[in-house]
Amino acid sequence: MEDYHSSSNEGTFNSDEADGIIKESIESVVGADDYSQNQVNKWTAGIVERCLTQLVKLGKAYKYMVTCAVMQKTGAGLHTANSCYWDTAMDGECFKTNMHFESVKISKHTELRENLNVLWKRISY
Amino acid sequence: MSRVHTLHSIPVCVQSIEVTIGDNAYQQNRVNQWTTNVVEQSLSQLSKLGKPFKYIVTCVIMQKTGAGVQSASACFWDNTTDGNCSVTWENKSMYCIVSVFGLAI
Repeated sequence: MEDYHSSSNEGTFNSDEADGIIKESIESVVGADDYSQNQVNKWTAGIVERCLTQLVKLGKAYKYMVTCAVMQKTGAGLHTANSCYWDTAMDGECFKTNMHFESVKISKHTELRENLNVLWKRISY
Repeated sequence: MSRVHTLHSIPVCVQSIEVTIGDNAYQQNRVNQWTTNVVEQSLSQLSKLGKPFKYIVTCVIMQKTGAGVQSASACFWDNTTDGNCSVTWENKSMYCIVSVFGLAI
């Protein structure tokens, strides 16, 4: 996996910008909600669509791929990896993981948290 | 990615998963190696196909304990030339989801 540069050139990747977009998308779609089986479909779709819209609005000459996995925290193990065959000078990625959202159900005295892994990749034309 | 090429990606992914994981039970100290091997093998087999594409391969391995998981992706690309395919594989103790994105050069 290649390193990416943090300059503001058109031809390089800006990870701070990406971080901000991803975090804002997750917080606005999921917020403080508990894991809910009938909502999770909408959440993942909402997060990727929102990230993608914000990225396209940056107006840079890039193709984008955004993936998001939402997993209920029950102690199960989850592991992800990715590998890319691209132009290492022009292309890059931003990976945001383990954003913890806590909420307490007072009636049942339980806490449900979610692991959100959002992987954001930018490919040059 | 043309439809034909999308279909070519599927057996490549399935084979890398079966060679790497096979019948093994989920083990926390090995899963790191498994995900790495699956993506690397898939990617090298895909690049050997010799097509003019850039590829991104992702792999998720999840232990089977009844937890729910949902995954989505959205792409901003050229619909006529670019494409993706996703393979979900399982054995008794885990799920493995491999996604391939192909972008025409």
